[in-house]
Amino acid sequence: MEFERPDFSLAAAEIFVAVMALVVMVTGTFLRRISRELGYALAQLTVIGAAFITVFSVDDPTVRYTFGTMYVSDWLGQVLKLFIYLSVFASLLYGRLYLIERRLEKAEYYVLMLLSMLGAMILVSANNLLVLYLGLEMMTLALYALVAFDRDNGLRSEAAIKYFVLGAISSGLLLYGMSMIYGATGSLDLGVVGQAVSLGAGDELVFKFGLAFLVAGIAFKFGVVPFHMWVADVYHGAPTPVTLLISSAPKLAAFALAVRLLVGGFFGLAETWQPMLMLLAVASIVLGNLAAIAQSNIKRMLAYSGISHMGFVLLGLLAGVTDGGHQQVFNAYSSALFYAVSYALMSLASFGMVLLLARTGFEAEHIDDFKGLNRRSPWFAAMMMLVMFSMAGIPFFLGFFAKFAVLEAVVSAGHTWLAVLAVIMSVIGAYYYLRVVKVMYFDEPMDRTALIASSETRVLLSANALTLAVAGLMPQGLMAVCGYAVLTSF
Amino acid sequence: MEFQTVVFYLFGAIAVAAALGVILVRNPVHAALCLVLVFFSSAAIWLLLEAEFLAITLVLVYVGAVMVLFLFVVMMLDINVDRLREGFWSNLPLGLLVAAVLVVEMLLVLTGDVFRQASSPPALPTDASNTESIGRVLYTLYSYPFELAAMILLVAMVAAVSLTLRKRKDVRYLDPAEQVKVKAADRLRVISMPAEKE
Amino acid sequence: MVENYFPVFVFLVVALLFSMAPLLLGRLLGPSRPDPEKLSPYECGFEPFEDARIRFDVRYYLIAILFILFDLEIAFLFPWAVVFKDMIAEGAHAFYVFGTVMVFLAVLVIGYIVEWKNGALDWE
Repeated sequence: MEFERPDFSLAAAEIFVAVMALVVMVTGTFLRRISRELGYALAQLTVIGAAFITVFSVDDPTVRYTFGTMYVSDWLGQVLKLFIYLSVFASLLYGRLYLIERRLEKAEYYVLMLLSMLGAMILVSANNLLVLYLGLEMMTLALYALVAFDRDNGLRSEAAIKYFVLGAISSGLLLYGMSMIYGATGSLDLGVVGQAVSLGAGDELVFKFGLAFLVAGIAFKFGVVPFHMWVADVYHGAPTPVTLLISSAPKLAAFALAVRLLVGGFFGLAETWQPMLMLLAVASIVLGNLAAIAQSNIKRMLAYSGISHMGFVLLGLLAGVTDGGHQQVFNAYSSALFYAVSYALMSLASFGMVLLLARTGFEAEHIDDFKGLNRRSPWFAAMMMLVMFSMAGIPFFLGFFAKFAVLEAVVSAGHTWLAVLAVIMSVIGAYYYLRVVKVMYFDEPMDRTALIASSETRVLLSANALTLAVAGLMPQGLMAVCGYAVLTSF
Repeated sequence: MEFQTVVFYLFGAIAVAAALGVILVRNPVHAALCLVLVFFSSAAIWLLLEAEFLAITLVLVYVGAVMVLFLFVVMMLDINVDRLREGFWSNLPLGLLVAAVLVVEMLLVLTGDVFRQASSPPALPTDASNTESIGRVLYTLYSYPFELAAMILLVAMVAAVSLTLRKRKDVRYLDPAEQVKVKAADRLRVISMPAEKE
Repeated sequence: MVENYFPVFVFLVVALLFSMAPLLLGRLLGPSRPDPEKLSPYECGFEPFEDARIRFDVRYYLIAILFILFDLEIAFLFPWAVVFKDMIAEGAHAFYVFGTVMVFLAVLVIGYIVEWKNGALDWE
């Protein structure tokens, strides 16, 4: 391979975020007195700046590579990145008061947040096994530290240890699979791997061995059954702003990981990974929905609901393996992308509501804490209702169209029984979402204190929840973006 | 048997024995030291594979640094060994099952010819440098992952400091810089007083 | 290439022999008549006050992990030291290589300065 000087401008967003993370770190240390305000402001500025850079670089929909072929710049990556920025932005904004009240607002927190975002960005636009792995590690390492950030709290430390140990095992699995593929093809480049796999150049058994490890690693990162053990404990144990982040940005990154590896690298063996995903998806949708019913802690409930939502994303991905022609394949992948993005939006709003109810010394983690929210704040009770309706997939909310698109793709790929099962489980799942709504509107409030929130939080949270309804009324815009991203990226 | 093969089996046997030692010895500190031996003999095997740079890195980083950390952690946690062994018999069947599956898999792999190479690659000339060939690609073709490694080290640094650093208020300690900077005027104040008569 | 390491191997074997032999000889030739008093742990003659294993302060851990990080940093720089002179002579992207390494170092030096300023290297 001949070395060429890379085109840095394609990776401008990543470079900007990396530099800004260093800036936040240095200012946080040397300007201690004003560092709290400054750290927050700089972090938000970084997210917004990165979003600008990404938006201005999407005008050209062709797929471009830099750093050899290690970095790929395509619409799929840009769309996912924009939603990752949104997740970090929301986590910073919704979580600000929570952090201040618990004295967690330190420059290091923002540095870790930005570095975890940087890891997700690198992962999303990686076209090389090594870079995928490094991006993933950067993102998750920062997340482990964020979960444990409130270090004197036993629950947080326990969650961080569980997350770390299981995360390390899953990274090990992924790395093991990657090393087999590298051994079989002699290349880390996903394009070369993809060609070798589809041409059958290399031993098929080694590819399949490697693939099994890759799928297990991906499933761990998605948190789908049977690799879901960490999800509920980590969601429950992490500080809520971090839970909010974990429930959104890493899922989008995991989606990118799955698409880059399975669709980009291993499409030649799609017949092999499709049944694996089917198993994971069915188990997640069934177990996630059933286990969520039994939860009294809303963070755990949302964790199990997240597991079932990730099952739907996998359904979308596996529906792309069909002999029904290009149109169907594109529909399937764009439905999966659409689902992942909508889930991120819903998840941000739901944990935003949990954060809204929390205050000093009180976490608002129980579903009972939502009792009588309508009396305390009719507006936010309505917003929470929108979020829950959307998550349950009640018609004409965003969640409904996401489910609908995925199920349509599944049916047209010929797996009608899967779609039927998914619908039945969603109906069962609607119970626990609607229970939250019932609790808010029909139960007596346990405490009647007014909600404390900054006006930015109120505005953004309302906008976030309303988006779920409005985008549900006109889902074509977001769907078109997802479709275009998939169309131009493959 | 060729000499290299003998050396391979020698270090392989040491590695396996030491690995068994890691899980079998009672004292966690001894287990950590056995792990050092595993790393060391693996480094020797890597040398046989002509991967000198990686072999030295293994010794430098794992034996030199990671194991120090391991020992600190083992000592820091003050593990109660008897409590650790409590679940041994109840977990044994599951452990044996997993071990059996792994053994069967390994046998399948080793007896099959999937991972077997037709012939080993030719030995490099004696003046070939593994470090040099890594250096030629690491800072050019692989400059992107190289910089990412720096960022990951930075993440680890920030995480370690933010999770473990605490200012202690109950400790009295001397700051040498302050000591050096001290002036006579800081310690001794000469005041003039009117002479007093008795 | 492997042949170059033959002296090292011989050295290892000799070192092992020399370190093991006195121990073995002592074990074989020396008298060994243990009794419970001899085998019990002692602390300058009197009964020990506490268990030999005490908990270490978490600060040791911080020092150790920072040591690993900078140790790794050094490991990444070895190939540069070996190859850079030749690359300059060949003119093969020498500036790019220099820049790459400097960025790598800059990131870690900034980390180091921040750490220092935060007091992570102080032993209070």
